[in-house]
Amino acid sequence: METPHYVAARVQRALAEDDRTTELGIRVDVRGEEVYLRGQVSCDERRHQIENVAREAAPGLRVHNEITLVEVREPGEEEHL
Amino acid sequence: MRELRIAAVADIHLGEDLRGHYRKKIEGIERRADVLLVGGDLTRHGTIPEAQVVAEELSGLPIPVVAVLGNHDYHSDCDQEIIDLLRDAGIVVLDDEGTVVPIDGVRLGVAGGKGFGGGFAGKCASEFGEPETKAFVRHTKEIAERWRRALKELDADHKIVLSHYSPVKDTLMGEPPEIYPFLGSYMLAEAADAEGADLFIHGHAHAGTEKGVTPGGIRVRNVALPVIKHAYTVYCLNGDHC
Ligand SMILES: [Fe+2]
Ligand SMILES: [Fe+2]
Repeated sequence: METPHYVAARVQRALAEDDRTTELGIRVDVRGEEVYLRGQVSCDERRHQIENVAREAAPGLRVHNEITLVEVREPGEEEHL
Repeated sequence: MRELRIAAVADIHLGEDLRGHYRKKIEGIERRADVLLVGGDLTRHGTIPEAQVVAEELSGLPIPVVAVLGNHDYHSDCDQEIIDLLRDAGIVVLDDEGTVVPIDGVRLGVAGGKGFGGGFAGKCASEFGEPETKAFVRHTKEIAERWRRALKELDADHKIVLSHYSPVKDTLMGEPPEIYPFLGSYMLAEAADAEGADLFIHGHAHAGTEKGVTPGGIRVRNVALPVIKHAYTVYCLNGDHC
């Protein structure tokens, strides 16, 4: 079995460099056969693309997509400096 | 002097899949703020079609919009075209320079640009060794030098630095420390501290935190969208009173 450390590095690079994702802020953790993806993106389509790219970069492993959607709220309270 | 209401956001990472979404969230911004500052990573891949979406979402607002690019906006080597396109749409784009925005007789000076990395005092890269390392550090040094000059030349009542990269570690908390050198540089803070400013706005650190301060006491705010979780945040710069 490939060292989880290198699998994580490969998945993370794929997420950053693949044109479908170009996501630099996704945490990738590999434990045995399981790959965990964590972070925040702004729409569901992007979340799914990240999962697809991660699956391709880690064939045979189980990918857990724990990425959450950033909900852009209406502006809140202002800060006085 | 009247108080200034500064709306700020960064890392909107627009693309065709998000067309129209951001615009909806900033409708009515003129009732809450006098100016909108956008701290880079406007797009995902730095392509022209994405930049067109940015222009559509940010143009034609009743308040002035001042922006800088981020590392994502450089990815397709179209950065100059993107700058031209946004400027044609009426957005002020700062590329290591300053501008003065008049707001009801108060002059708001904004200086900055993309910025770059290198790390923070005591744990930073230095201009030594291989040409690649030297080029990396020199890029930040030259940027900081241009910002210092731009800040000095600004004739304004209030000054703000607008950047993509961070000037301090404070606002990176939540990011893995191993990547701090890629998230900012103390040289950006040093430039601001040397000339003085009321506020330092940046983005880039999606997992960071909002609030920090430079060694010289300038308030730093990381307004990356995933950090502030609102369409923008409003900072009021004190006039005579608030
Ligand atoms: Fe970003
Ligand atoms: Fe960035």
